[in-house]
Amino acid sequence: MLWYKAWRETRIVTLGGVAAMAIACGMIVWFEHAMRDNAEVPMSYVAYIWKSVYNSIGRDIFLFLCVILGGGGLLQERAQGTAGFTLSLPASRGQIVFWRAVMGYAGVVALALTPAVVLPLASPYRNEIYPVSQALGFSLLWAGCGAVFYGFTFLLAHVLEGEYTAILAAIPSLMFYGVLQGLPWMERLPMLNIFHVVNGEDMPYFNEGLHLLTGPLPWLPLGAMLVLASGFVFAAGRRMRLRDF
Amino acid sequence: MLERVIQTDALTKHYGEFHAVNALNCSVRAERITGFLGRNGAGKSSTIKMLLGMIRPTSGTGSVLGYKIDDPKQSIEIRQRIAYVGEDKGLYGYMTVGQLIWFTRSFYADWQPDVEKRLLAEYRLPLGRKVKALSKGMRTKLALLLALARRPALLILDEPTEGLDPVSIEELLQTLVMAPMQGTTVFFSSHQLSEVERVADDILMIDRGVAVLDMPLEQIRENYRRVTFGFGHPVPTLPQLDGMERVRIEGRQVSILASRNSEAIAGMGHEVGAATVDVAPISLREIFLETVQEQNKRDQEAHWEQTHALV
Repeated sequence: MLWYKAWRETRIVTLGGVAAMAIACGMIVWFEHAMRDNAEVPMSYVAYIWKSVYNSIGRDIFLFLCVILGGGGLLQERAQGTAGFTLSLPASRGQIVFWRAVMGYAGVVALALTPAVVLPLASPYRNEIYPVSQALGFSLLWAGCGAVFYGFTFLLAHVLEGEYTAILAAIPSLMFYGVLQGLPWMERLPMLNIFHVVNGEDMPYFNEGLHLLTGPLPWLPLGAMLVLASGFVFAAGRRMRLRDF
Repeated sequence: MLERVIQTDALTKHYGEFHAVNALNCSVRAERITGFLGRNGAGKSSTIKMLLGMIRPTSGTGSVLGYKIDDPKQSIEIRQRIAYVGEDKGLYGYMTVGQLIWFTRSFYADWQPDVEKRLLAEYRLPLGRKVKALSKGMRTKLALLLALARRPALLILDEPTEGLDPVSIEELLQTLVMAPMQGTTVFFSSHQLSEVERVADDILMIDRGVAVLDMPLEQIRENYRRVTFGFGHPVPTLPQLDGMERVRIEGRQVSILASRNSEAIAGMGHEVGAATVDVAPISLREIFLETVQEQNKRDQEAHWEQTHALV
């Protein structure tokens, strides 16, 4: 039943985030005419969706919520005064960390899938089509890249004391990571730029003219991201195993 | 059946320079109620947390119900068999009372639905209310319900009556008294010495992380006495006899806390020329104060000196 506790801890962010994402996607679809008519350069509906959802507000909301979802765990519980009750349950610390990580990541996946549900369903109401395969492709990219942001914050939340310290530390850390992407040697390794992998920009699997995912998805980098995120979670579990409460 | 449900051997916990628990040797007898006493910072909560596996001992060992406290796997077995109510009574504020009961129940095979119903009615806990909306007293009652609605081998309570109204305290004390009859050992810490004296069979008192008294309450009542001498002249040098725990001299009055041998101590008073010799029973509260007060004063002085040295 630790899954239930973890679900209750992440429920508000997950459901609220899914709702916010769905509304944002819905609004983007609904106002597509007005937005495209006022655009400096004419663009296709698919390009408009990519620029608005996958390269702008949708991606930003998603990455921010990944960080928020990662900011939980036993140290946060300690700050809230509930760690004593949790640790008195007949469950190992590893199980507690594992279920919190799983349910938090389930929230990340739900957020990643939201545009894939909303965009293909809402587009016909504006006499447009957004391919399900495209939306699902971006969801996979989001789920992989979001795992790194989520896992990194999750690890910070199991290292830094305080209720929201991990979130406050994660945001500038990730901004710093963004700044690092401008370094010349980093530009030679485009797959290390998660901000580009997540929306396909400058990537071989993305056609910049059509704004469509055309090549095979970067399965190896996505797998590596999941491994890295699992490593963060594993490190968080190790840290909790030795910790005094 | 185990005769000793809790046993510690030189159990020690240091937080840097601070020695919270200092080579503690103690044992708790099965199917009895043990009152765990000590002033603030004496090491009670640290001891309890080590027993539950929440903190790791710096050195020494301990066992609960025969399971080693420093083995993570055995620690889970311990928590499966015991019930615990912590000092802060921190429960998940985002769950309702009903959800928290349902969640907690899922971990224990020995959950007693009839006891749960009885306690819900007794404590008048609203099932649909969020835990964060409960008063401190109601939260304490909920924490007690979660612990008492089972048939644990051992019940560990850290300041269980804190925040409760007098009627609830009375009901809780009655529940604790009944627990050993159902095979449950009770180990509880409290600063309410009158409550401890009412229900405890055994007393374990610690100070600065060391056991200073570990004895059945009955034996304490039988043996502990306050022996007072009054002199018509300045107090002479008193010989140190067996059982003289504390000697306090104020003017021409001598007050001795005797843990045993009070008759011989009284006889010594007559021998050294005391005009009056009085032997009186002593309450647990007086024993506690006598035992920890001097150390408390020394600690306060040391702290004062340390603070002023820093200034």
